[in-house]
Amino acid sequence: MRKILFINKLALFAVLFMLQIAQLHAQDNITAQDIINTMTETMNPDQSQGKMKMTIITTSGQERTFEYETFSKNQGEKSLMKYLKPTRVKGQTILMLNNADDIWVYFPRTKRVRKLATHAKKQKLEGSDFSYEDMGASDEFIEEYESVRMKDEKKEGHDCYKLELIRKPKSSAGYSRILMWVDKESLVPVVIDYYHDDDPQLMEKQLVCSDIQLIDDIHTPMKYVMYNKLDNTHTSMEIIEVTYQVDLPDDLFTEQGMQK
Amino acid sequence: MKYLTLASCILLLTSVLVYAQVDLYGYLEPQYSAFYRDSTFYQTNYNKLRIDLKSTAVKNTEFGANVIYLLYFGKKDWNILDFLPDHIISMIPPETYPYYQLTFNDTFFLDNAYARINIRRLALTVGKQQISMGTGYFSNPTDVLNTKDALDPTYEQPGHNALRLDFYIGSRVNLMALYTPIEFDWENSGKLVRAKIGIGHFDFSVSGHEYQHTSTNFYTFQQTQERRMLIGADFVGELLGLGIWGEGIYNFMENNDDNSYEFIVGTDYTFESGLYAMVEYHRNSLGKPTHNEYFLNDWMRYFTGETKTLSQDQIYGLIQYPLTDLIMVGSSAVFSISDQSFVLIPMVYYSLFENVDLTLMFNFYIGEEGKTFSSTLGNGGFLRAQVYF
Repeated sequence: MRKILFINKLALFAVLFMLQIAQLHAQDNITAQDIINTMTETMNPDQSQGKMKMTIITTSGQERTFEYETFSKNQGEKSLMKYLKPTRVKGQTILMLNNADDIWVYFPRTKRVRKLATHAKKQKLEGSDFSYEDMGASDEFIEEYESVRMKDEKKEGHDCYKLELIRKPKSSAGYSRILMWVDKESLVPVVIDYYHDDDPQLMEKQLVCSDIQLIDDIHTPMKYVMYNKLDNTHTSMEIIEVTYQVDLPDDLFTEQGMQK
Repeated sequence: MKYLTLASCILLLTSVLVYAQVDLYGYLEPQYSAFYRDSTFYQTNYNKLRIDLKSTAVKNTEFGANVIYLLYFGKKDWNILDFLPDHIISMIPPETYPYYQLTFNDTFFLDNAYARINIRRLALTVGKQQISMGTGYFSNPTDVLNTKDALDPTYEQPGHNALRLDFYIGSRVNLMALYTPIEFDWENSGKLVRAKIGIGHFDFSVSGHEYQHTSTNFYTFQQTQERRMLIGADFVGELLGLGIWGEGIYNFMENNDDNSYEFIVGTDYTFESGLYAMVEYHRNSLGKPTHNEYFLNDWMRYFTGETKTLSQDQIYGLIQYPLTDLIMVGSSAVFSISDQSFVLIPMVYYSLFENVDLTLMFNFYIGEEGKTFSSTLGNGGFLRAQVYF
């Protein structure tokens, strides 16, 4: 019964969400904040469970592949990543609460849970071009940046809204400025340019999202590639499987959940 | 016939593993160490094989175990007296000299073997298991079960026979009770309770631990046991953008009034460049305030892990920088404030292949003879490979 109620809730959410997108399309004067809000909702469904594959191409051209399970709840406010491959990191689990403001890492080989401070969000995730911040902060674009709508552009074959996000004063976000191209049809970001913490003119990374599919009535980019413009490396992330029709228990996002 | 038996055994083992849905994994760790002291070059090496088994075939239950095989080579026979200051050796009865001989023999042992049962918010773990407590990096005052190596504090700790109950009351509130039996003697066995709560960006814990501590008199090689009652607390969080943590205990001794305390506080930060810096201050009241007060028992209890530090006050520092996406360089250092000696530990970490890590670590002791980090202990380093399977 609970499951049926949940699925009904999800269907209602999807209908309302589609109406919201349709409403946005009908308006030509929509603001950058409207676009960011809707995009954040699209990219952070109420709950999700999936399996991802991350491939790092290093400076020396070597390849490193990781596979992990992901779980998220409350529009990404809580998330948990558990490594499945390679064996070197198998079982290692990262719990992010409060939109990645609180991060814990569980090391199965030593059975130790370590809490990381906010500054650790800048650290690379297993040497990849994604930082903890890139992976976990679901509401960062809304909370940490002021957004401005720029002239619409075509990007990667999509008609896009172009937005500029400037970091708010006193924000601890790791990027000073962000440029973003959001697909008008799906309200999913197609390209995001991240600018250096200290230099708003220096592009540090570029995220390209592709292969947008409709899964459980939610537009989902199935492939993400993060290019590190400073190190000349890139990391791709592919969704192997994902579902939004889940009812994840709160216990999963705890120290106990990390160790299960 | 021999091969048939072997093949049957492998087939049987494989069938059992598959039927019980057992994960089989582990690592091989060859380590080559070399150091130089008293105009002599030494090398002491080992190959370590750890094999882990894990099964979650039974609902809500996890079975885990691992065995370790350690094979030493190079110099295996050591005399601890070679590392002690001359004035200490002169106080040792000559008839006890043979007791200071130490040989690294090849070993094979069951390091962990436990069952963990999860029932709603309860988790019961029974058996030989790894237990870690506290928020400190260099040392954990609240953890009396393990002693960290000052040169390599994150290295894995051995398993302990224990019965552990975790009760997860809320998303960031939990209680832990731990019983570490000593020969089925309830009174002398270890009993620990720990409560943990998360508030804002902080995690706080308080703990009480009653346990038996063994002290060795290294003049007579007689051991004495005493009950200790520890009250401890720890926290981890952040302040003004810096990671901060702390951990402290007060130890009530059963047999004397010489109660002790120990604490550690630390802070860390990651710079935009990826440079990570950390510093910790550690005080152990059981340590000595000057090196003139280091006697045989102090040195030997430090070497054997009976006490955590020789000196009373020390500062630990660590910096790490990702040189490339596969290479991490850094250095840690420990400065003994009490005796003004210092050890520098530069390190390079290289991810050679997906499941192969290399660690190159050096140690440079900078201190006069008789101090904690005396240069007479010998300078050197090791190259360690970890091959995961």
